[in-house]
Amino acid sequence: MAEVILRQLTKHFGSVEAVEDVTLRIPDGEFLVLLGPSGCGKSTILRLIAGLEDATRGEILIDGELINFKDPTKRNVAMVFQNYALYPHMTVYKNVAFPLETARMAREEVAEAVQRAAEMLEIEALLKRLPEQLSGGQRQRVALARAIVRQPLVFLMDEPLSNLDAQLRLQTRLELMGLHERLGITTIYVTHDQVEAMTMGQRIAVMRDGRIQQMGDPTEVYDVPANTFVATFLGAPPMNLVGGSLERRNGQTYFRVEGYELAVDPAVSGIAPYVLAEASGEAQLGVRPEHLTLAPPDAEGLPGVVRFLEPVGSDLFVSVMVAGHAVQVRMPPDTRVSTGSDVRLVFDPARSHIFGADSQNLRS
Amino acid sequence: MAGDVTPDPPALEEVPATDEISDADAMAERLAEAGRAKRASDRTRKILAYVVLSLFVVIAIGPAFYLISPAFRDSVSLFTYPPEWIPSEPTLENYRFLFSSTSYVRWAINTLIFAGSTTLLTLVTNSMAGYAFARLRFPGRNVLFFVVLATLMVPVAAVLAPTYLTVNTIGDWPIIGNWIDIDTYLGLILPSAVSPLGVFMMRQFIETLPDGLYEAARLDGAGEWRIFTRIVLPLIKPALVVLGIFVFMLTWASYLWPLVAATDNEFRVLTVGIASLKGQFVTDWGILAAASLLTIVPVTIVFLFFQKWFVQASMAGALKQ
Repeated sequence: MAEVILRQLTKHFGSVEAVEDVTLRIPDGEFLVLLGPSGCGKSTILRLIAGLEDATRGEILIDGELINFKDPTKRNVAMVFQNYALYPHMTVYKNVAFPLETARMAREEVAEAVQRAAEMLEIEALLKRLPEQLSGGQRQRVALARAIVRQPLVFLMDEPLSNLDAQLRLQTRLELMGLHERLGITTIYVTHDQVEAMTMGQRIAVMRDGRIQQMGDPTEVYDVPANTFVATFLGAPPMNLVGGSLERRNGQTYFRVEGYELAVDPAVSGIAPYVLAEASGEAQLGVRPEHLTLAPPDAEGLPGVVRFLEPVGSDLFVSVMVAGHAVQVRMPPDTRVSTGSDVRLVFDPARSHIFGADSQNLRS
Repeated sequence: MAGDVTPDPPALEEVPATDEISDADAMAERLAEAGRAKRASDRTRKILAYVVLSLFVVIAIGPAFYLISPAFRDSVSLFTYPPEWIPSEPTLENYRFLFSSTSYVRWAINTLIFAGSTTLLTLVTNSMAGYAFARLRFPGRNVLFFVVLATLMVPVAAVLAPTYLTVNTIGDWPIIGNWIDIDTYLGLILPSAVSPLGVFMMRQFIETLPDGLYEAARLDGAGEWRIFTRIVLPLIKPALVVLGIFVFMLTWASYLWPLVAATDNEFRVLTVGIASLKGQFVTDWGILAAASLLTIVPVTIVFLFFQKWFVQASMAGALKQ
């Protein structure tokens, strides 16, 4: 168990900036999720902490100790790889025992520790099998057992669920959370799956192009995204963005889009008055599909035309064209609406966001 | 006019009517007929294939077969006319002579020591060199690897004299010269104990192992040596076996280096020994044939025993991780 600190961590591969100036503090026992699209540098951070790559700049500390120059064999971190990386010629028992045997632990102690790990992950019956005789889910468990068997300071997990089918992924997700609760080991979990991130992470760090875009607990990141990237990366379907402009008249700021004007009130929108006073020019209005409602054309709201209807059973997703943007609206499944009809989109301004020309949320 | 434009209705007679299709007997008859035709054409094709293949077999094993007959006849009967293929009076006299009047046993033991040690040493050196070239990052790695490969292009005969001189010079050194010299086992074995082809083969094979394995092993606390012995060696076993057989067979049959490096009868190997049976004026072909036949047997057995590994190793790339 340990606290992990990254300070201005930077990694360049030639001219490619994989990780750029990342500073993070992961308290002891936390489950942190690094979330981002592929190539955003999240796996590179794991590999830097593990010592599989050397940092170009910056510091990595575990429990206050600088480990930049410590050999990976001595860092006492365990990693679960995306493809599990089990040793194909060794039985499950040998695979799990390998790190302990490498540490020259006595044979009886090894057997005991392997047994404990196997019980925890319910793979006792598989101990004599070879990896090729296991299913994907079983391999995953063996990889986890190998990681927990030597009680590492930090767990690093690199998309461990991505090779499992949907059903198994759901189940394993819950088991991983249970495991973390039981062991309390500081865990850094990398994924590009926003559902995994939302459900598993105590905190989420959303990454893009090697930089952290936003860091916070899942609801915070979901409710108040720092910029348009985070807003559209989290949530399915993502947050709707409608392009328009900000205008200031008589001490009041308005968001204007073709045929519609929204008065932005600092008290309601959560935007600081001084920020609002400064803001002008291009901007985007962001509202999540679940915060929009369809209203008749004579109501007050964003005007649009219904294009598609997507009933998914539990909900009805209505695609509405608003000033050239497709906007998704989540409605109850029994909503009566037909394509081609004129509608107005109504929403609570308190749940809407204004993103400035630099794509940043004016609230933050 | 309109009647001319209308196309003729399709010839219905050629298409079996529905009730005809549903007739089980007719269907069975049609299938049987088609089956017979197919079998007949298959048969002709097969016969043709076997004729051609047999021809190649004769070309391939003919000379070896030619060795068997004289090995079991006395030399006088070899020159009878018309030539006799299957000996009328088979004899083991040639073998008796080999074991009683020549150093055949000594040569065989020498060859076994020579080929066996060379094989083992080659496997050790080549797998280690292959691992280094495949996994370790060190300055000059690519240049060095290129140099290793370049030695492949140098003919054996070209390095024969330098190698001989090197071993001979080492032989003059104190202490170590007692072990490595012309007419010593080490002097015979060491120059053959690395094969550039083997280094290349090992490197290629080790490079196919997924990076994740090394990374997992490193995080599990294993250093290079442990990764090499516990992870890499077991996984490249098929390649090791193939290289081993390859080197064993090559060394077993090698002639040039043993000819110059082991001049003393005590260190002579089979190939050189057999050649020495050939007299300047008279040659007993029966004895030569018997000796040659006896020499081929061990390598053939080794090959047959391990041949399934050849297939496995060549398949290795096709397997998923």
